[in-house]
Amino acid sequence: MLDHSPATTAARPGRHPTDAGVGVGSAPGHHGELLQGVFDDGAGRLRRALVTLPQPDRGSRAIFYPSQRHWGVVGTPELIKVRRAAILALREFSTHPSPAKGGQVEIISDVPRGIGMGSSTSDVTATIRAVADYHGVALSREEVGRLAVRAECAADSIMIDDRVVLFAHRDGVVLETFGHRLPPLLVVGCDTQPGVRVDTLALPPAEYDDREVGALGVLRSALRRAVATDDVALLGRVATASARINQRFLPKPGLEDLLEIGRRHGGCGIQVAHSGTVAGLVFDARQPGVEDSVRRCTDRIEELGLVPTGTVGRVPGRPGGSGTAAGLAPGTVAGRTAAARTPA
Amino acid sequence: MGVRTGFEEATEAYQLPRLIRLAPNLHAASFSLMKLVPARFILRRALADGQLEPGTVIVETTSGTFGLALAMQAAQLDRRLVLVSDPVIDERLYRRLVDLGAAVDRVPAAAATGPGGYQAARLRRLAEVRAGLPASFCPEQYTNPDNPRSYAAVAELLLESLGQVDCLVGPVGSGGSMCGTSTYLRTVLPECRAIGVDTHGSVLFGHPDGPRELRGLGMSLMPANLDHRVFDDVHWCSAAAAYAATRQLHRRHALFMGPTSGAAYLVARWWAAANPAAVTVVMLPDEGYRYLDTVYDDGWLAAAGHRDPRPPDEPAVLDSPVPDSPASEAGPWTAYGWARRSYAEVMAAGDPVPAP
Repeated sequence: MLDHSPATTAARPGRHPTDAGVGVGSAPGHHGELLQGVFDDGAGRLRRALVTLPQPDRGSRAIFYPSQRHWGVVGTPELIKVRRAAILALREFSTHPSPAKGGQVEIISDVPRGIGMGSSTSDVTATIRAVADYHGVALSREEVGRLAVRAECAADSIMIDDRVVLFAHRDGVVLETFGHRLPPLLVVGCDTQPGVRVDTLALPPAEYDDREVGALGVLRSALRRAVATDDVALLGRVATASARINQRFLPKPGLEDLLEIGRRHGGCGIQVAHSGTVAGLVFDARQPGVEDSVRRCTDRIEELGLVPTGTVGRVPGRPGGSGTAAGLAPGTVAGRTAAARTPA
Repeated sequence: MGVRTGFEEATEAYQLPRLIRLAPNLHAASFSLMKLVPARFILRRALADGQLEPGTVIVETTSGTFGLALAMQAAQLDRRLVLVSDPVIDERLYRRLVDLGAAVDRVPAAAATGPGGYQAARLRRLAEVRAGLPASFCPEQYTNPDNPRSYAAVAELLLESLGQVDCLVGPVGSGGSMCGTSTYLRTVLPECRAIGVDTHGSVLFGHPDGPRELRGLGMSLMPANLDHRVFDDVHWCSAAAAYAATRQLHRRHALFMGPTSGAAYLVARWWAAANPAAVTVVMLPDEGYRYLDTVYDDGWLAAAGHRDPRPPDEPAVLDSPVPDSPASEAGPWTAYGWARRSYAEVMAAGDPVPAP
């Protein structure tokens, strides 16, 4: 499989001394969005944008094996995006002193696919980082975001992992930075339609009416305050409102029932994947007894026949969520490979 | 946070309110000229949609602050503006409108006694004016859904600044500000209470049309932009009570506002005091300059029969929106639990209503 030809492994200035002629990169998954819609970009234009809820306990890891030969055809859609990302990244470094002509990307991921947890952006971001790593280039988060959007038309903002942003997911630009981190959340996730897979490429873009555009601007302002003041209750209300607006476009069956389960256990609202099937009940991680609430909610979710997707976030001072660690525990790992080659 | 920058134009600078705390749980949203919010939104949108070509004349019927807001934005956009007004228009307002380049077309005084009063006569005259123009654009503040929609910007400011709003109190005229702001606040805060402030003799919440001394709120015709289902409570405030509260707002809080602000303050202060745990916001729509020789003149107040400088302490709470007795007997300040019902629902539930 591997192509370690001397031509590609030689003379790569700036390479990490321990590498074995490959590039590696990783990226987290997410659990849908806290807010998604269209927003004023400050220049009088409305742009589609979102605020991602990162799930750092899950993720993809990419290994880039450089090559001078084409490695065949990739069949599945998600790997087409990875291949496109690798090609774009290779083009980006074509003026590098010793660029790779092509290569092969191996993806290891524990992000579930097709339910709105960011598997493809995670794969794509990890791939771009792996190709950059091979070339010894440190790309900024914004540059990775721009490339990811070019590779898959619309990308989540998981690559911008040092702050909370409103990300124009089709333009690859940050419209607003809300703050450095989200308030202390605990999100109990589930798949609202087990077995259903959403093809994000086939999903028609949501067409928001004037009233919804106004409401989305209001939600953006409320989220700005929620992040600035660590207000989980307000953040939960924003996420709930965004989820309800999305019911017109990609409805989650039983959204209000789920919301009620959360409310009965002291929850602050519900967030959803606006282009997937997952939903999450939002809790304030500082709330006394929150772990019991989370456990009881998970039980209720299972009773409804929905599949829990784990917990996002941590109780302050306690280790661990329920997802796997960034090292990707065996058993949950799906290995995938894709070949990429810059066009002649 | 970004650095502070200037504004692109005056209408942008003046449109949003300042938020000022009046009591531990009471915040004033103090506007220079609230009507700039819909005027700016509607005209800029019309411009963007190609409805305001250079030769297009903006026409509207108004004797009040919406006309001033339109004149300010029209001057900014370099468009002609024709305003159809009552025969009696405030002299200060008239001079400002003319200085801003607006043509003010007054309906004859005889129209006062016709059906629908001046408001109906103005609408007829507006149609005539439009028929004589090759291209015109009418913002239609009473029916244009962009009027309530424009108040999303106010809801944004309230949510970003306060986070929680349990109750919004404000005067009602076209319905735009209260319906728009409440509806957008409820996107995030569905339980937020909305209290509308009207005046006796206004048809908005079921009174028979009658003479109204207090101007700037209340109506003789029902505006389509008034969504009655937004309101939890409705209060009716007399001119005397509104004037006294306007002066109190000035003396206590140094807020120099007009009488509709006073009416809203009267209600909001009472409600906030009775509900100390509830964050209350009161909309104060315009400033006091136009009223220096009236509401702010003790001699004028006395001559008009308003000798008591203190507003009433609390409203008379009614079982029906329409008082059985004449307004003068029901008291200067009345209230009714509207309970987010439609106009038809309230009228069907209440006592028989005299035909307007």
